[in-house]
Amino acid sequence: MVLFTLLFAMLAVGIAAYGRSAQDAAAVVTAPSLVTLIVFLVPLVALILGHDAIVGERERHTLGLLLSLPVHRVEVLVAKFLGRALALCGSIGLGLGAASLLLEPGQRSIVLGLVPSTLLLGASFLSIGVLISVASKRVATAASLAVVVWFLTVFIYDLVLLAIMVMTDGSVGQETITWLVTLNPAGLFRTQQMLQLVGQDGLAELGLAVTLPGALTRAAIWAGWIGLPLVLGGGLLSGRRAVTA
Amino acid sequence: MNVRIEELAVRFGPVRALGGVSLGFRPGEVSVLAGPNGAGKSTLMSVILGLVRPDAGRVVANDRTVADSRHDAALSFRARLGYLPESVAFSENLTGRQVMRFFAMARGVGRERVEQVLERVGLGHAAGRSVGGYSRGMRQRLGLGVAILHSPELLILDEPTGGLDQQGITVLWEVLEEWRAAGRSIVLSTHELATIERRADRLFVLVDGRLEASGTPDQLRDQSGLEPTVRKGPGLDEVYEALIGRSSSDASHVH
Repeated sequence: MVLFTLLFAMLAVGIAAYGRSAQDAAAVVTAPSLVTLIVFLVPLVALILGHDAIVGERERHTLGLLLSLPVHRVEVLVAKFLGRALALCGSIGLGLGAASLLLEPGQRSIVLGLVPSTLLLGASFLSIGVLISVASKRVATAASLAVVVWFLTVFIYDLVLLAIMVMTDGSVGQETITWLVTLNPAGLFRTQQMLQLVGQDGLAELGLAVTLPGALTRAAIWAGWIGLPLVLGGGLLSGRRAVTA
Repeated sequence: MNVRIEELAVRFGPVRALGGVSLGFRPGEVSVLAGPNGAGKSTLMSVILGLVRPDAGRVVANDRTVADSRHDAALSFRARLGYLPESVAFSENLTGRQVMRFFAMARGVGRERVEQVLERVGLGHAAGRSVGGYSRGMRQRLGLGVAILHSPELLILDEPTGGLDQQGITVLWEVLEEWRAAGRSIVLSTHELATIERRADRLFVLVDGRLEASGTPDQLRDQSGLEPTVRKGPGLDEVYEALIGRSSSDASHVH
């Protein structure tokens, strides 16, 4: 976690320093570069943080002692999630905070505006990581699964959508594509930020005619990505007959 | 606390871990679960601790069912248990004191008690050091400290003598005596019956998930059919070997 904090802060500060040299260019240089950095790094770190939450305790033989305490298994799972989420929040806050210090006040607000949705992105992937941790029998399996999920959601998913659009020659409706983009937390984050930075027209100029669902629907999608894996993980852990086996 | 295990059955896939075991632990007694590897000792403890849900049977504490095939051990029951696992492990980066404080917080125990227990298990001087630098015996003593932190009514110790240094063994015997004197129950599993011989009030011999024999050490000596020596009766380790040997060569049950 310390390594991630340092790496994230260094890269974010580097981008901010570069963006500073381009006056009034936060929306064009700094923020889009930070969005790219966040989309690649934050999901990976969140998945890595979450992947050993339960299976790691089992492999280290500490789960039995922990679950022999008078607490529900779900409480242990939620506590594991919250503790890690707090650490992730700290790292994200430090990284983006350090980057914003280098910028002019006008640019600073744009960068600080990235913080809330970055936290949501991190929490979503952390929740998926915790689910992987409950479902896996070995830490190595959980780590492999976490990397596969990261690769699929951050790299492959958009490519598949692009391939669908090309192969169907545009016959798949724009609305369907928008929904498919926003159903991936990484896609939702990216699109949300790009829309905020360059607006609908700016995206259209780039050849991306994406319209996001309303704020309430987006909030529901974020809540779903954070809550659903935790609920599934809690159900799996509670329903397991032999929790340390 | 009176704890009864009634017809407890646990299967892990094709493997029968417990096949209808019934036994009881009484207040003020040290009950010893003995048996070879895979006999079901740890599984029995896991059911009591709520880590394994049985396929059949139940655990009854003071005439109240606290665990059965539909429910893990009740939280109110688990709050009264202390547990020392066989391979006790803690986060290597935390100090002994931090580990104890974490469990104290989870159990609602004050910091004063933490210091008291650290001294009790002989770790007062090392409480500020990280667990990563502890020897195996020190970790085991820290585990014992965690188990007794909240003065539980039932202390469950899985192979507690394995890995303990001489100081740890002395502390363990003292704790057993204190718990017995206070009318609390102790359940421990061990392979080293000779070590525990003088401390055991009741023995339960498990073989292949079944209760092969049970009783006080003297009752088991009688059941084993071994001749007493001039100085004393046969050692419990010999009694155990005889009972196990007889069960494998002869299907007849002793109890």
